[in-house]
Amino acid sequence: MAKEILVKPSLCTGCSTCSLACSLHNLGEFRPSRAYIQISKREFEGRFEIAFSSSCRGCGTCARSCPSGALKWVDFAGDPPAGQCK
Amino acid sequence: MIAGTAFRRPRHEMMEYGYAGRILDIDLTAGTVAGKDLPEEMARQYLGGLGFNSSILYRELKTGTDPLGPGNILVFSTGPLVGTSVPTACRTEASALSPATGLFGTANSGNYWGGELKCAGYDALIIRGRSDRPVYIRVRDGSADILPAGHLWGKNAWEAIRAIRQEHGDPEMQVAVIGQAGENRVRFASIENGPFDAWARTGLGAVMGAKNLKAVAVRGTGAVRVARPRDFAAALEDTRRAIYSSPFYEAFKRFGTMLASIPYYEFGSLPGRNYQTGMPENWMESRTRKQLPALSSRGISCQACPIACAHWVRIREGPYAGLELKDMEVTPVIGFGAGCDIGGLPAIAALCGACQQYGMDMVSASACVAFAMEMYQRGIISRDDLGFALPWGDEEGTFKLLDMIANRRGIGNDLAEGTRLASARFPGSEDFSIHVKGLECFLADPRARWSTWTFGYITNIRGGDHLRTRNPVENLRYNQNPVPYRTEKFGLPDRVFEDLDMPGELKEAAFDPATRGVDIPVMSKWSEDLITIYNSLGMCIRPPVLHTVGPALFSRLTTALTGLDISPEEMAKAGERIWNTIKLFNLKHGERPDQSDYPPRFYRDRLAVPGKDPLDPRMVRAVLREYYRARGWDPETGVPTPEKLSELNIKRGV
Repeated sequence: MAKEILVKPSLCTGCSTCSLACSLHNLGEFRPSRAYIQISKREFEGRFEIAFSSSCRGCGTCARSCPSGALKWVDFAGDPPAGQCK
Repeated sequence: MIAGTAFRRPRHEMMEYGYAGRILDIDLTAGTVAGKDLPEEMARQYLGGLGFNSSILYRELKTGTDPLGPGNILVFSTGPLVGTSVPTACRTEASALSPATGLFGTANSGNYWGGELKCAGYDALIIRGRSDRPVYIRVRDGSADILPAGHLWGKNAWEAIRAIRQEHGDPEMQVAVIGQAGENRVRFASIENGPFDAWARTGLGAVMGAKNLKAVAVRGTGAVRVARPRDFAAALEDTRRAIYSSPFYEAFKRFGTMLASIPYYEFGSLPGRNYQTGMPENWMESRTRKQLPALSSRGISCQACPIACAHWVRIREGPYAGLELKDMEVTPVIGFGAGCDIGGLPAIAALCGACQQYGMDMVSASACVAFAMEMYQRGIISRDDLGFALPWGDEEGTFKLLDMIANRRGIGNDLAEGTRLASARFPGSEDFSIHVKGLECFLADPRARWSTWTFGYITNIRGGDHLRTRNPVENLRYNQNPVPYRTEKFGLPDRVFEDLDMPGELKEAAFDPATRGVDIPVMSKWSEDLITIYNSLGMCIRPPVLHTVGPALFSRLTTALTGLDISPEEMAKAGERIWNTIKLFNLKHGERPDQSDYPPRFYRDRLAVPGKDPLDPRMVRAVLREYYRARGWDPETGVPTPEKLSELNIKRGV
């Protein structure tokens, strides 16, 4: 069964562990500015936006490292589950 | 642009991993910016963060320096783990000679600022001198500029952050900034770290204000590289597992520091009405974690933190409706809620926001308001002095007084000096100025809760404070001393004790399995050294981390990340070295043995809670002597012995 990244931006706490983990896995160094997943911080609103770059191959490293539940690494067969899938 | 420079030279070969390998050195008097390599020996001996700051300031700050003069030096340092995904590794230490205490001034803060500094290519930022006009510093990849800040002067911290971000077209630029309190050299002004976090204690914002420095804005796109990726991945996985399995982990994710709001009330140890009553009326109905869900349903993280302990608060009704902010924590709840008896969380959140905007340490600010309220209660000051009434719990009066302090207007100008100096101006108030070494005390009242944590107020290197001394296995629900004054009850499951990442011989010395007692002097020494390691590596001391990660895991993480082999023993020794270096700094700048003591109220006045006697000064002295012995210091004076300094490889007076 294929795996997909399930995204629930409202659960994001802004820790950016995903982009740190992504950059280490895909670039070999911690470099969130070049990671394939970007967390935009809207500090005054307490809100965070999640975006994937076109380089993302859906490896799931970000989702497996997410501690908040904003990203989940889920089995996927057929219709996407509730929420947005990458 | 006033000055700027770029450095794009190859990194020092040995400092290629973990560390950025460079230190930025800015002289505001000369308007110069310089960079230098991070010496490997400094990294080995002092780790980073607080360690770097202690080493730099002990060597470079001259005796007799005016904290608010151009001779003071302000240093920001991140830890080697900052910028990685090690859970909670995001912290930066800021230090200078404190205008509040005249001793080592230091504060630690998270958020994203440190990660940006590291990615911009620097481990530390040294700021010297004084600009002749308002400026701010911008640091970006491998370069720094000193820019004019005349248009920012007078703005509060939130306004200044927005203006700087807009100026550079970068809504995510991380900004360390002062508000009006720092500009006006309020002795407990903070440096705000973004809108809601702060390097709060010991008045570092006043140091920035005195340097005519409004802000330090940072942005970096560089990398943190890993020396031994396979070892690092294994150490990281073990660290995660340790933290996630902590019995505090889920509770802290949910309630954050507000967990303390109920047990401290039940023990009668809240600093109610300036330490007159430990159990404020209606506390349980108005100011605990139980009221929190009505205001907040989610947490906000610092970089790399899985806990997200900071609550995002939204006030939906009442006079503060519409207010949204981060940081509804136990600090303002205890400070304003108990100390000033402000009766509800919405008002406390609004006061918290006021401190964030003025740029004031909310511990000292609330303590100064509580001190003024007690002066009002006792008739030392009146409505005529203030221009308004100031009874306990008065919200409007508290907002007015904070504004007067931040802008040094009227009686606010006296209170802006902190309670120690202010009390000298109001005869009769000296007895209820609650500080140690000039820093206002905070958290639990030692008369009602005697523990490693509360004993630490008198050994803390920055004065009356609770954030450098807590017992890693403190259990809020227990409040017993099997041997009066000497031990506190260990109240956690056995496996927590067995898994504790702590040197074996210390474990044996610190715990008595028969009584399940923790030896307070021995544990104090260990907790100070441990927290010093945290503040030097860039880690957060929230309980799920503090009691699960120690020198063994830190050794593995740091060695794998940096390539510098640092054993668990060397890691523990580094913590001790840094603490001793700061003690030497304090002695160099005039600390006296008699200053390591509680304010007189704790020895003289009985709390309005049954069974809570004043402290016995002879017993406190006895524990202090044992603590000095555990430290290898002179048991009477608390001065580090030559043998101890030699063991730690510290050269006194250098």
